[in-house]
Amino acid sequence: MKLALPRLGNIDVICETIITDMGNELIETPLNSKRTMDLGVKYSPEYCCLPLKIALGNMIEVIELGAEGIIMAGGWGPCRFGYYAQVQRDILIDLGYDFRMIIMELPRGSNWKMLWDNINILRNGKSWSYMLNQCKFAWQQVLLAEELENKVLQVRPREKQKGASSRILLESLKKIKFAKDKESLEQIREDTFKKFEEITNYNKKNITKIALVGEFYVSLEPFVNHHLEEKLGYLGVEVVRKNSIEAWISPIMKLNIFKESFKEEKEIEEAAYQYLAHSVGGEGQTTVGNVVLANREGLDGAIQVVPFTCMPEIVAESILKKVSEDLDFPVLNLTYDEQTGEEGLNTRIEAFVDLLKMRRKEIKIS
Amino acid sequence: MKRKKKKIGIPYALYFYEYYPLWKEFLTRLGAEVVLSNPTNKKILDLGIRSALSEVCLPVKIFYGHVLSLSDEVDYLLIPRMVCIEKGAFFCPKIIGLPDMVKNSLESLCPLVSPVIDVRKPYSTWKNSLLQVGQLVTDNTVEISRAFSISWENFQKSYFDNLLLPCDGNSNFSEKNTLSPKKPLKDSEIPVNIAVLGNDYLIDDSYINLDLINKLKKMNVNVFTPSMVHPGIVKNQLKKLYKPIFWSLSRRVVGAAYYYFEKQVEGVIHLTSFECGEDSMVGELIHHQSQKYPGVAYTEFVFDEHSGEAGINTRIEAFLDMIRRRKRYEISLAPVR
Repeated sequence: MKLALPRLGNIDVICETIITDMGNELIETPLNSKRTMDLGVKYSPEYCCLPLKIALGNMIEVIELGAEGIIMAGGWGPCRFGYYAQVQRDILIDLGYDFRMIIMELPRGSNWKMLWDNINILRNGKSWSYMLNQCKFAWQQVLLAEELENKVLQVRPREKQKGASSRILLESLKKIKFAKDKESLEQIREDTFKKFEEITNYNKKNITKIALVGEFYVSLEPFVNHHLEEKLGYLGVEVVRKNSIEAWISPIMKLNIFKESFKEEKEIEEAAYQYLAHSVGGEGQTTVGNVVLANREGLDGAIQVVPFTCMPEIVAESILKKVSEDLDFPVLNLTYDEQTGEEGLNTRIEAFVDLLKMRRKEIKIS
Repeated sequence: MKRKKKKIGIPYALYFYEYYPLWKEFLTRLGAEVVLSNPTNKKILDLGIRSALSEVCLPVKIFYGHVLSLSDEVDYLLIPRMVCIEKGAFFCPKIIGLPDMVKNSLESLCPLVSPVIDVRKPYSTWKNSLLQVGQLVTDNTVEISRAFSISWENFQKSYFDNLLLPCDGNSNFSEKNTLSPKKPLKDSEIPVNIAVLGNDYLIDDSYINLDLINKLKKMNVNVFTPSMVHPGIVKNQLKKLYKPIFWSLSRRVVGAAYYYFEKQVEGVIHLTSFECGEDSMVGELIHHQSQKYPGVAYTEFVFDEHSGEAGINTRIEAFLDMIRRRKRYEISLAPVR
């Protein structure tokens, strides 16, 4: 079967492992572009959140390229994400497309049959142990990709030549995608770290640090957040990314192999408790908790990215104002919709970074 | 010495359209004074808009307004954290986070009482949460649990009394107003069956929906709402979905929508509020379903803080004209027996 996976940050590093190696044909999802956005916006309900629209755009593009099945994650609320696949399927069927939505989620009630069928499509007649191994390996790939991405955030403000670290990352991600075993992953890791060493200028000190919190999709997808991480990096800011695919998948799957991530989750919950005592779905509580933690860790500020109309993040946003006042900790809110103008964004980021740098100086002097 | 009665304020917005009778009876039985905020008006709406973030949805802004209008008059404000009242469904994130949002974005409020209602956990079932609130008013635990069981029973009873449609779902809308051909009616006199869908806080708030329900009734329309549909019917209708909906409020709206489509009412109006996350998804589901029933006219009204009355009037008139013209056409073409 010809399968495709909508974009989400660098999730496409696992495509080879879970699609091609299993004997299915991979339809590469085109990079997010203006066209993706336009297609998605055109056919989505107006007040739906941005990730739904862009993923829908992805889907239309891959179906046009011949995909017969689309792999999509699900969930059980209360965030709207859990219902994306269903609504997108309805919209695409209305548009007259013929395809199969392969929703990967733990069913409740009677849909076990559907999950079974979906897994069998992915398994494609291969043995279960092979499939399990591939999944484990895919997880390793995700972990490595995220490790490198986080490393780049540290290297970028210190790099000797502008853009060098991004180039290295891009190369390595490609290598990860086509890696076949753990040894080669280890090799890639070593090589990349060595290359990063070479381009880093350790003389730069006193670097401003900003936590990137907020909605998961927007914070991971550079096209949607207008390359926020790179922009901040080139302004000489070290970004501490608080969202990751790792932290997202682990609690959804609730599987024992990911136990370690739970500890962090608990810590975040405790930090948020004073302000938001109950999980509100999505990253609502995590955002609040991460801002409190970022303050404790001694970062200079936080940027919350929100897709327009996102329910959990609006809850967080209403609360963050108070958190920011209480802790004397600057938080910038950036709301993204399909029309976010780039220049306005640049100005806001620059002003925020200037503010943080000035605060740093003041604190130093006093 | 007689103690002063505790004043507990209830904002007349969001889920209180449904649960106010329960809280009111429970608290009154315990000897507290329950103060309900006024129905939404211009002042309340303005208060809400001014104090909430611009991105917050309209119903929550209205809630803020009600909270602020009450805050000075009462000792406590009741804002329960409604999380889950049935298996597999939640309330929307904003309702779950409502007490925290109110607490952290409004200043100089009186103390909030926010019991958690989450029936999945033993300590936060309806009973236990209400008992906790009861302890605020009186120390007499026996009295509290008696008050709970009586008011809970009454609440359930009145809920089922309000259902207009019988449980078996046999009522047929088209039979109710068969036209008598003896005397030709004017176009505007032809009765029309219209289902108005949406959450209670939109349908019952005549300030926000610009008195839509009464306007429709005056125009000779039989109005049906989701609250008239029996939960059993809703449950059955929801089985048609590809995936169960995990929001309690929307479940009823979608179930009712599917039911009214199936019963072939003549028109369906879906009321949504601007920025409402659930409505955006549910609207798509209902729209999708409406296309399977070409005999049912469908439209969606979006309300925001400045919906103009004239605009709504025009849309209602056009919608009804369309249905009536079609009806007239069908009658004149009907085979003569």
